[in-house]
Amino acid sequence: MVETGIPKLDDFLGGGIPVGKSLVYYNQPGIEGEIFGLQTIYSNLKSGGTGVFVVSSTMPDLVKSQFKEFGWDIELYNDKLFFVDAYNPLIGAPSNEKYVVSQPDNIEGFNKIITDLIKELPPSTIVFGSLSTIMDLCGEKETIEAVKTWNKMAMLYDHVIIYNFTAWPYSQETLDLIKNDLFNAVISIGGIAERVIFGQYFGILKSDWTEETKKSMLFRVLRPGGIKLYIPKILVTGAFDAGKSTFVHALSTRAISVDRLGTTIALDHGHIDYKGFSADIFGTPGQERFDPIIKLLSGESMGVFLVVDSTNPADFVRAKHMLEITKAYGLPYIIVANKQDVSGALTPEEIKEQFNMPEDVTVVPVVAKDKIGVFEAFEVLIDKITGGT
Amino acid sequence: MSDTIDMVDKLLADLKNIGGVEACAAASRDGLLIRAVMQKELYLESLVAMSATILGASETATTQVQKGVPNRVIVETDYGKLIIVGAGPKALLIVLASQDTGLGLILLELQKSAMKLKELLK
Repeated sequence: MVETGIPKLDDFLGGGIPVGKSLVYYNQPGIEGEIFGLQTIYSNLKSGGTGVFVVSSTMPDLVKSQFKEFGWDIELYNDKLFFVDAYNPLIGAPSNEKYVVSQPDNIEGFNKIITDLIKELPPSTIVFGSLSTIMDLCGEKETIEAVKTWNKMAMLYDHVIIYNFTAWPYSQETLDLIKNDLFNAVISIGGIAERVIFGQYFGILKSDWTEETKKSMLFRVLRPGGIKLYIPKILVTGAFDAGKSTFVHALSTRAISVDRLGTTIALDHGHIDYKGFSADIFGTPGQERFDPIIKLLSGESMGVFLVVDSTNPADFVRAKHMLEITKAYGLPYIIVANKQDVSGALTPEEIKEQFNMPEDVTVVPVVAKDKIGVFEAFEVLIDKITGGT
Repeated sequence: MSDTIDMVDKLLADLKNIGGVEACAAASRDGLLIRAVMQKELYLESLVAMSATILGASETATTQVQKGVPNRVIVETDYGKLIIVGAGPKALLIVLASQDTGLGLILLELQKSAMKLKELLK
């Protein structure tokens, strides 16, 4: 198995890409899809693999500086990473790479280099920086025939072969072939402007070695950092004095609060970067007089932390009511059983019983002020939001 | 769908072009950033969440006493100005301006842009 290095995508694919398989990142124009190939190659180098990057839309040196931009030091892997230069010859510039396609507008030239390389190298991850550029230069039909050969050969020699493809207006026949037949797996990468969520997503369109999942994930590209799964809003709610703000601050890489005399009057807002996820956290006030604001700000959440004071079962009714106010029913939510260090705190099991909640609701024990359990809680909720593994 | 994004970007770019405007952003009423244009890279997510809270709290306050909804909220500090206007039921617009800028033109254009954004997100 070769891991894509894209958070969650490997889980969706059952661990990664099996040796001998082909995969295409199918980008809508205007989306930052090129980075998927880079991230996959880098994650392979890191785990000791060999990588080949076929550069056809820009200078290899530029690609190298792109790696650096993301904070990925490829110098460490100079003997494991090979570039195929199919750009410099096109503009008449000299090339410093070992593998050079001297006539990038002729598919025969490509064919020779790629097939030689497939035979020569140990099992590697071969990434085509831009299949669309090759198609533009060599013709759609010719390129498709070549791709068929490359995929078969990669299978024979135990490589993993990956293409970045941008879906410019090619013939419908070509696009259909790429989406349906040509590759073992197709990852579609696109943009959405749905209601007020504007962003970029990826999802599996096809994969012949794993159960298909229709799940798609929002992502962001961070420099440095690469692809992070993005969750625009996670709500933290609960009764007065349950420890919501403390929880938001414990969880967040950076956070701000609007509070007076130690109680939140408007909103806590925090941002967290953790294990490939990038999420914004909204913490509501707990007191009833702020209910209008809570209603206003709780829309579009993707998941909810319901924070309760484990020592104060009297507030559980209010906590449940908060779930209603925030319209959180139907969203993935978990109960954060805070103040577990205080004597008299109920155990998660007791809380579950007292709450009278459905079986599948998870209660996570937490001491927010000491950051105990907060990241466990985050992982549990993220798993629920992303549909588990 | 990416067309809507382009159109929102164009609308923000126009706003940004007004003298004295340092940053502007479109956001949802519930505090999520839609798109932003700014001079220097700022972390806008918190600003946007707080702006939605400010506008929401203002609207709740004034409607409670039968004074209707505010046309805009202007926050002035020693170093600049923050202006928030509603743009239909789903969205709002946020402008950050430098302290020495007159608000006349900005408010006029902001009102127009708010109308446009409302239409774009219908």
